[in-house]
Amino acid sequence: MLSFIARRIAAGVPLLFVISFVTYTLLSIPDIDVARQLLGQGAPNDLVEAKNKALGLDRPVLVQYVDWLAHALRGDFGTSWFTSENVLVAIQNRVPVTLSLMVGVTLVTAVAAFLLGAWAGVRRGAVDRFVQMFAVAGYALPPFLVTLVLVLVLAVQLGLFPAIGYIGITESFGGWLSTVTLPVLSLSVNAVAGVAQQVRGSVIDVMRQDYVRTLRARGLPPWRIVLRHVLRNASAPALSVLGMQFVGILGSAVLVEQIFGLPGLGSMTVAYTTRGDIPVIMGLVMVTVVLVVVVNLVVDVLIGWLNPKARVA
Amino acid sequence: MSETAPLSAEPLSTGVSTVRRGGAVRRLLRHPLGLASSAVLAAIVLGVLLAPVLSPQGPEVSSLRDAFAGPRAGHPLGFDSAGRDVLSRLLYGGRNTLSGVLLALAVALALGVPAGLVAGYRGGRFDAASSWIVNLVMALPAMVVLLASRAIVGPTVWVLMVVLGVLVSPNFFRLVRGIVVGVRGELYVDAAKVSGLSDLRIVGRHVLIVVRAPIIILMALVAGIAVGLQAGLEFLGIGSGDLPTWGAMLNEAFKNIQRAPGLLLWPGLALGLTNAALVLFAAALRDVLEDRGATVSPRRRRTPVEPPRSVAGERAELLSVRDLAVSYGSREVVRGVDLDVSAGEIVGLVGESGSGKSQTAFSILGILPEGGRVSRGSVTVRGREIVGLAEREHRALRGDVIAYVPQEPMSNLDPAFTIGSQLVEPIRVKLGLSRAEARAKALDLLRQVEIADPERVFGMYPHEISGGMAQRVLIAGAMSCDPELLIADEPTTALDVMVQAEVLGLLRRLQRSRGLGVLLVTHNLGVVADLCDRVAVMSEGRVVETGPVAQVLHEPRDPYTRRLLDAVLDDAPAREPWTPPADSPGSPGRPDPEDSQDPKDSQKPKDSQDSQEVAR
Amino acid sequence: MNRPARVPLALVAFLTAASALAGCGGSGGGAAGEGSKTLSIATMTLPQSLDPKDAIGSALPFFQAVYDTLIKREPDGSYSPMLATEWKYDDKRTELTLTLRGDVKFDDGTPFNAAAVKANLERFQKGGGGQARTLADLQEVKVVDDTHVTLVLKQPNPAMLFYLSDAAGLMANPAAFAKGDSLRNSPDGTGPYDLDAGTTTIGTRWEFKRAPKYWGPKLPYDKVAISFFDNETAIVNGLKTGQVNAALLQNTDQQASVTGDAKLKTIKQEFDFQGLLLFDRAGMVTPALRDPRVRQAINYAIDRKTMLDKIRQGQGAVTSQVFGPKAQAFKPELDTYYPYDPAKAKQLVKDAGKEGFTLKLPRVSAIVSDALAASLQSDLAAAGIKLEWENVDQGTAVKRIFRDRGFSGMVMNMGQSPIDWVVVGELVLPGTFNMFGYTDDTVKDLLPKIQVKDAKDARADLQALNEHLVKDAWFVPFYRMTYLHVSDGSVTIKPQDGMAVPSIYNYAPARQG
Repeated sequence: MLSFIARRIAAGVPLLFVISFVTYTLLSIPDIDVARQLLGQGAPNDLVEAKNKALGLDRPVLVQYVDWLAHALRGDFGTSWFTSENVLVAIQNRVPVTLSLMVGVTLVTAVAAFLLGAWAGVRRGAVDRFVQMFAVAGYALPPFLVTLVLVLVLAVQLGLFPAIGYIGITESFGGWLSTVTLPVLSLSVNAVAGVAQQVRGSVIDVMRQDYVRTLRARGLPPWRIVLRHVLRNASAPALSVLGMQFVGILGSAVLVEQIFGLPGLGSMTVAYTTRGDIPVIMGLVMVTVVLVVVVNLVVDVLIGWLNPKARVA
Repeated sequence: MSETAPLSAEPLSTGVSTVRRGGAVRRLLRHPLGLASSAVLAAIVLGVLLAPVLSPQGPEVSSLRDAFAGPRAGHPLGFDSAGRDVLSRLLYGGRNTLSGVLLALAVALALGVPAGLVAGYRGGRFDAASSWIVNLVMALPAMVVLLASRAIVGPTVWVLMVVLGVLVSPNFFRLVRGIVVGVRGELYVDAAKVSGLSDLRIVGRHVLIVVRAPIIILMALVAGIAVGLQAGLEFLGIGSGDLPTWGAMLNEAFKNIQRAPGLLLWPGLALGLTNAALVLFAAALRDVLEDRGATVSPRRRRTPVEPPRSVAGERAELLSVRDLAVSYGSREVVRGVDLDVSAGEIVGLVGESGSGKSQTAFSILGILPEGGRVSRGSVTVRGREIVGLAEREHRALRGDVIAYVPQEPMSNLDPAFTIGSQLVEPIRVKLGLSRAEARAKALDLLRQVEIADPERVFGMYPHEISGGMAQRVLIAGAMSCDPELLIADEPTTALDVMVQAEVLGLLRRLQRSRGLGVLLVTHNLGVVADLCDRVAVMSEGRVVETGPVAQVLHEPRDPYTRRLLDAVLDDAPAREPWTPPADSPGSPGRPDPEDSQDPKDSQKPKDSQDSQEVAR
Repeated sequence: MNRPARVPLALVAFLTAASALAGCGGSGGGAAGEGSKTLSIATMTLPQSLDPKDAIGSALPFFQAVYDTLIKREPDGSYSPMLATEWKYDDKRTELTLTLRGDVKFDDGTPFNAAAVKANLERFQKGGGGQARTLADLQEVKVVDDTHVTLVLKQPNPAMLFYLSDAAGLMANPAAFAKGDSLRNSPDGTGPYDLDAGTTTIGTRWEFKRAPKYWGPKLPYDKVAISFFDNETAIVNGLKTGQVNAALLQNTDQQASVTGDAKLKTIKQEFDFQGLLLFDRAGMVTPALRDPRVRQAINYAIDRKTMLDKIRQGQGAVTSQVFGPKAQAFKPELDTYYPYDPAKAKQLVKDAGKEGFTLKLPRVSAIVSDALAASLQSDLAAAGIKLEWENVDQGTAVKRIFRDRGFSGMVMNMGQSPIDWVVVGELVLPGTFNMFGYTDDTVKDLLPKIQVKDAKDARADLQALNEHLVKDAWFVPFYRMTYLHVSDGSVTIKPQDGMAVPSIYNYAPARQG
């Protein structure tokens, strides 16, 4: 198991290099004139050139990349061109926010989707239709509408939650919970719908397996069969989806982060990429890739745990 | 944005997803949600295609003086913030939105499917290389790539959709590759190879057909994501520029949410309906392909069970069945079966596949597959009527009064649990023993079924043991709660000839030492001759002949029994590779369920071989 | 069927628990608790750094917290002493002498004196920041003695005092200049607050705490927090829940959602105008624009009133001039100089012989809404002008417009400075928005007269200039836009004349009652 994990992590390293190169190049191709953006619209050309030189933008892209890489390997990701933040510090500040959302949504999704999906898959009939309809509604509602309604009703009207902002979990657990509850709920509607569908399908498939019939023939109570045997076997595909969603929140949280004024990685990615703040984006990209590799690894390990047949030596 | 829809290939068990051309479409349209979603999608596509005809004016025609104006003659949906006709923009916007979706799908398909086919079919270096690239693409930070590409190529929705297509193509690759790897080893592909078809033709004729349906499902899901993503990006100000799209309309409405909240309605509805229809379509298609039957509600509907039409003859104490009928909906698959099993007696139940013998066995156990129910008759166990018994009471009989040995050893063990824990669980639940006691009893059982190293097997997983050993384990499981009646459903069919004999010997010894009554369901008359005291012959849901083994085998009275016996005497070779009928390439390995009366058996290719064996 | 009830119940229980917990623990969310005397301001402007040389006008409050300016600008736009107590021009208006306070020290004990002013001004001028060009006319800074300094100008600049009350006037500790980029994140000034590095997250929330030994009058708040948001929806929600105390709302739809809320207090201000700035009066990109009749036609073709009503929900005032009401050049009658007259517009284009010419403009969707884009297109089409929008992102827009000079004009929102010379500098003198350097005889004649006088004294010339710009159709202004300063009710806000955002000094606790 340990060697499996080590091998997977080792396989992630070349990925980091290739992706860092690809994104650096991608980011450098569009000539968005960072210097002029920094200096203001009407800056004279000599100033712009000086600024470009100061930022190192006058060098060939490859040289810029190697320079970035050399610094990054030493743990120096530089500072933002547009806000002067230290990239590492800026990301460190925002990671807890995004991680809170990711973990929160994943937990809520896992619990709710497994309940709903298993319920629908086992009971079928009216329950199934109800869950299906819920899932469809979850897909059909524009996400920002769900978010807006939640904010307006629960935060602005009823005052149950703060409407904006984030409080660190180390600062105050209650504060943290209050600031992440609504964002997590907003993001979960869609996620629960998707995973519940997945769980339902897998549960139905597993329910039709021969061994479930045999377990019934042994006289085991149905709830026991569902909880112990069906759910465990049905959860592997759902876990893959859950893993994908976990990573997907990096992107899909942008909207929620904006409406709740949460300083997360999602809105950071959009804002800084739009401006072309390469040092910050490169830092973000590295964090994202590491996250993807780790999450995929965790999912694979979990699936191996659930399903011995899939276990890798 | 909704990057959250399940993009997984798993829901379809690979290899068995078989579509017959007309069949799937027909079944989809019979599926209520399938019909509804197809109708909605068709209506949307039609409306969008007819945009020039249906629109009151061009989508760009603007008159600011009409901004926010409500519906009026010729403009049924009113005007937007720029004084443009909402209906026109909705229709033309749908064109752009859906064209974008098509573009994304085309790119994803073009990149993912051929590569997945080749990687799955050929394996080797191409597979390794493409899989690595796929991992790379999947780890790319999607938002950064989207924004950067947009900055490079320009702010149009088309760029976004092409990039989206690239980013989701790995999902198609993995789906196709997974299925192809599963199918590659299947017999009919081997057969095609032997018969000298080129790889291209094999891929075209056999493999592509298997992956078609899962691809359609994934396409529907990706389409939903693409629609959602367009809207999400518009919301972030990363939009389509001047091009009307539903996302742009929604965003524009959002910007005027105080002034004219009603503007949200139409684009929101269009997006929501399309998304919902796509999801439902995918779900319905999946249901149809997997025979999940979307709307059956089992165990809920209590249609009264008719009493047996006649209760002939003396009824055995242990198990007595009279005029048993089993129905799926209005279809009767068992039509009046009489059976008796006494303690210490082995009764054979023979017949070819689809004759209803397994259904009879299941109804005695009370474990009919979903949709099936006992519609008529009487079944007594130890003199007690069990037809119409509450599930809880029926369950109480299972395990410690009636036990079950299934046909297929591997698929009847839960792959996620060790042999030991699967044996221990019923012992603890049914007999209430402690963990240690149950463990001791389980080890003892393993010994009794003549497993050499019980301790080691106890800790193993099902995939780590052989089929013969698995069947012994299942027999041990059946014995675990000391039942009085054993129902064995083709207990040796899936095993090698040598192992068959061993297992039958084991069953015989156990039966004798415990004085069990056994109902042995089989199609193998040799087994019946070896093992059984009496035999009942079934055909088309009825018992056509019952009697002592010697009498039935030597002096069959029923013509069907005679035919059955003749077939065995011909002694055809046991098994030969099954090849797909040349005229129906779409149904490899699966006989038409319509021909078979036993819905469960009909799903296993093996049964079709077995039925050939019997029928010969 | 007891299961379906359980899920929602659990949800409700969770929500209740979460909100209850929030009630006991969540005071750190930026809400100004009773008596905590924290002012929480929301902004949509991101400062590039807190180094004065990077300062720009819209980010000024960030800097005002930590730095003082040489001259203070009062809410009504008048100048009052700050680090400089007196200022005086010589007769030729090329030498400006400042008298400085002698009792001010930076935190490390470095005295604030004439040498510090010289160091700051020279650094700002050569620092390559966005506002560096405001000191382009500065030739030399002469240190007279510790408390007196003379600014020698290349030519008279009537906006110089304004600049010294703005970014160029921010005074940082010269001792920090040697320490590389340290000022960017560790500002070091004599201002009323210090940046609280422990609670500040650069890029999202800056917190300032009262400087213990501030030389000047105490501001009413112990702490000031400025939070950055990228959309007004979040700001409005924050105002409604009291998590934000004060903010500026530009979007009319957001303004509408605020005016319905009785708890919130609002003050209107007109500062920005929206219009089409034509750079290409020489016809370098679009030859047709060389003809004033064509430019006039554009002015006649657009329906300002309807645009204001529909696009800005009536919040503002139509105008045909680029000078604002506070400027000396402003003439009320010029607001309505160009009525909506499509027939005349068409005739003018026809007279000029330019029917059907194509005008290509960049479209940044954040500024040019769908409604604006579509209505301009159809209005101009009616006059025989084909308007083509080219979609550009904010990033590429700057490059395409200002470096490549690829367009003849652009639609933008622009502040109307009460300082006439600032407006002249931005719009009339060759430079930023006159990138092709166009001028004409009337302008050449008027500018020297205006330049050497105080704006008040040059009023007649300024008005003549304004009138010429309007009649010769240098620009196509649409309307002045009403912005809304909103507070959650706990703060009174004084709008700052000449700036869209209020100065940090303009906030005070509202009297409860």
